[in-house]
Amino acid sequence: MDSHTTTRADFPEIDPEALARLLRFGGAKLLADMITLFLEAMPQRLSAARSALARNDAHGVEYELHALKSSSAQLGALRMFRLSEEGERLARAGTLDAASGVLNELDAEMPRVHEWLASARERA
Amino acid sequence: MTTIAVVEDNADNRLLLHALLDGPYEIVEYENGSDALAGLRAARPDVVLLDISLPGMDGNEILAHIRADNSLRTLPVIALTAHAMTGDREKYLANGFDDYVTKPIVDETILVRAIERGLTRGGR
Repeated sequence: MDSHTTTRADFPEIDPEALARLLRFGGAKLLADMITLFLEAMPQRLSAARSALARNDAHGVEYELHALKSSSAQLGALRMFRLSEEGERLARAGTLDAASGVLNELDAEMPRVHEWLASARERA
Repeated sequence: MTTIAVVEDNADNRLLLHALLDGPYEIVEYENGSDALAGLRAARPDVVLLDISLPGMDGNEILAHIRADNSLRTLPVIALTAHAMTGDREKYLANGFDDYVTKPIVDETILVRAIERGLTRGGR
């Protein structure tokens, strides 16, 4: 386990209050629709970030992870938010080898986020 | 009716903004800068909510085009950003934005107050 992972383990993976907030903003339909859009976009963003990484396009990696950061924060996927934020920062600094490691962690986080949000959508 | 233009590439963020603002305001939406600049000239909104991280032209470039266009230059434009770093607010205001709202949106009244300030500033 590297030092970054140790640090991130201090953060909770999810923030249920974010989902409660979306319910307050627009009811069950908004919550369900937001989750559906996010679950569609999440793998697309990560795939696009991987493609950008393969062509050494630091700005492309930064752009995709910034978008993932924004959406995961709104939905309360806190660990995905932190990872995206870190990957975005590394890409902005041009350190793509390190950003590649964060993409691996995001790949591992994706099924957990999918399971949590799909379950929340069923309950909405 | 007061019209708010939303320039935002993330579908989930557009959906949330629509849910929060539709009703009191009429909402027009654009996913990128070129569509926005063409649409703003036609729609003549009262306030623009402008995401910073966009494909192609970013929010700062779009703002520069707005300020250089005689038909759009006085439009109140609010920066909408998930960057949220220290000093961002001052930086965006210095760039010519009228106001600054951070994502994720956790308190819709902050967004509405920024819009109302923009409407007042724009003489609406």
